[in-house]
Amino acid sequence: MHKIWAVMRREFLEKVRTRAFIIGTVLFPVLMVGLTVLPILLDRRETEPKRVAVVDGASGDVGMKVTDALAASRREGVNGAARYSMIRVPARDRVENVRDSLIALTGVHQEGVESLDGIVVLTDESVDGGRIPYLGVNVGSMADMRKLESELQTTLRQERLRRAGIDVFIGMKASREVDVVTQKVTAGKLTGESGATSFMLAYIMGLILYMAMLLYGVQVMNSVMEEKTNRIAEVLASSVKPFEMMLGKVLGVGGVGLLQLGIWGTTAMLVTTYRVPLAKLFGASPDALTAMKLPSVRPDLLAVFLIYFVLGFLLYAAAYAAVAAMCNSQQEAQQANTPVTLCIVAGFMAMFSLLNEPSGSLARTLSLIPVTAPFVVPVRYSLAPIPIGELLLSMAVTFAGMLFVVWVAGRIYRVGILMYGKRPKISELWRWVRAS
Amino acid sequence: MYQNAIELDGISKRFAGHTAVRNLSLTVPRGGIYGLLGPNGAGKSTTIRMILSILLPDEGKVTLFGGEPASRDLSERIGYLPEERGLYPRMKVAEQLTFLGEAKGLTRTRARELTAQWLARLGIADWGTKKVQDLSKGMQQKVQFIGALLHEPELLILDEPFSGLDPVNSQVMRDVVVEMARAGRTVLFSTHIMEQAEKMCDRIAIIARGEKVVDGRLADIKSEAGGRHVALSFHRNQEAAARVLGDRALVTRVDDYGASAEAELAAGAASDELLRALMNADVGISRFEVVEPSLQSIFIAKVGVDAATAPAREDMAHA
Repeated sequence: MHKIWAVMRREFLEKVRTRAFIIGTVLFPVLMVGLTVLPILLDRRETEPKRVAVVDGASGDVGMKVTDALAASRREGVNGAARYSMIRVPARDRVENVRDSLIALTGVHQEGVESLDGIVVLTDESVDGGRIPYLGVNVGSMADMRKLESELQTTLRQERLRRAGIDVFIGMKASREVDVVTQKVTAGKLTGESGATSFMLAYIMGLILYMAMLLYGVQVMNSVMEEKTNRIAEVLASSVKPFEMMLGKVLGVGGVGLLQLGIWGTTAMLVTTYRVPLAKLFGASPDALTAMKLPSVRPDLLAVFLIYFVLGFLLYAAAYAAVAAMCNSQQEAQQANTPVTLCIVAGFMAMFSLLNEPSGSLARTLSLIPVTAPFVVPVRYSLAPIPIGELLLSMAVTFAGMLFVVWVAGRIYRVGILMYGKRPKISELWRWVRAS
Repeated sequence: MYQNAIELDGISKRFAGHTAVRNLSLTVPRGGIYGLLGPNGAGKSTTIRMILSILLPDEGKVTLFGGEPASRDLSERIGYLPEERGLYPRMKVAEQLTFLGEAKGLTRTRARELTAQWLARLGIADWGTKKVQDLSKGMQQKVQFIGALLHEPELLILDEPFSGLDPVNSQVMRDVVVEMARAGRTVLFSTHIMEQAEKMCDRIAIIARGEKVVDGRLADIKSEAGGRHVALSFHRNQEAAARVLGDRALVTRVDDYGASAEAELAAGAASDELLRALMNADVGISRFEVVEPSLQSIFIAKVGVDAATAPAREDMAHA
């Protein structure tokens, strides 16, 4: 026990002191803050309204109305700055000519040219058919286009109603859209989460599990590889049992992983909790942020997450340790770890299929496979309740699977760590495992 | 108190393709310095690994400390310097040694104390906070050496301990080894350099191609090999000298080292006959001494020149 502890502490301290760990630990929160604050800053910078021309080839005053409606459009959050600066170009019967001459002025960055950002082409045909051509520099921006569509939608819908001789007020009321407002219920209680936030939570958790297994699993592998290539393994093997070496290493790296995840989690929590003052600090209006709803992590979900994190980590880290023990160089290990990495990727992919049907038979099957359960179960649990019997069975199966993998890995490790030369074939590996 | 530190009873170890050690039996008594000699590839390292339970013998039995079956559980009483040095390159020297001590079961505090003592003793106290990768090869070897004996083991096993060391550092380590032996601990070391073994060992075993050639007290082995050896040096007329030494009526065997040679006198030939013959050949004799056979000549006589080269093997399961 004392020796496992010594191996573990060495691993932990040496890893925590590396530049990679410090940079990784600091960089992630910086990115988090950056991702929260940057859009606000950028949004504030972009207060310059877009110059949009309406080529008005439609009969009546619809062109005027569209121009006015767009000119009245305001940006959210940035003290109500105008979104567009509008000009209307009357173009009855010569729409194409006007449009082409305006295109020549669009997106031109030259001195003396009053450049346009976009052109809306209105004809009677387009007003009736609802297909409005927009030619502009920002057509690639989904957000800009969605905004433009919704502005045009209202104005044109009113215009059509008027043309059809229907009272606009009644018509608008009748054509109001249906919106499903979601709220999540768990075990007979409202959680206060919307559907979108619980999806977000499931997704983020899956991503963390995937990243952590891969990141720290590979760290275990490299660390074992270092001991083997530097021939430290032999010095240690004369004093510590190989299984103790492996376990100490896996637990040490696991500790590093938990510490790093803890630091990241805490920062993420702090940033989101204090995002309003944080936004103020950068001079942005807080309304832009409050729209972002946060998922709350229930303690039972956190427990399930941690249990499966630990089980999954032990399983995969041991597998990576075994891979490293049977290889002779970093390059060789990178090839040989493919089966292990594939299992992790498969587990991660399986999660996506669950997001639609968290209680389907596929989900239930994957929860009982030790290799995929660590990814699948926490995600399922966050989306829909899992019967306690099923949950316990899954934990038991995963635990047994983990013990089995650790046992096999320990056997491979014991022989492999002192073997140099050809990488063993599957049949030889089997002999290593069976050898007493 | 037990009698024998190590007993090997007919141990064998096979790797795919070749047998590294074959039916080897040895007894290393407690206290003193024991030399395990043999050419490269003779099976010295494999034998040592089996003593340490790093490898398990396919056949036979290893017993340590007067009757305990060998196992890793005894590792606290054994110190080991492997042939291939192994240290964490990015770890600081003192922390590394503390860890190695802990791995041998010392408490952290005790390991720290001993690390400081030994670093001072070997004159590298200033290097404690340096990373291992910044040290020279010889310096790393000193660190590894401390790692082997930090926990004050009853049995110290050194695999090729002096290779690659300069004479000064070599001497420092030799002094430590001798001191440990005097304090009643057992030291087993392997080497293929005979002069070293000759100076230090009370007992030796010579192995070649995985089998024991001879073992016992160094003095006994020497007297058994006979006292009719002549050490000689000369400085001219090599050919004439070669002719005299080639005379089978006078000399049965010569180990020619270039400027000097060791000759075994033929049965019935007297040493002064050889001296007269050499003087007549006018070779400029600067040394002529009747001696005990050197370990080198015993080694070559016992092992043979061809056995001194390791047999080719496919499997490089160990170096």
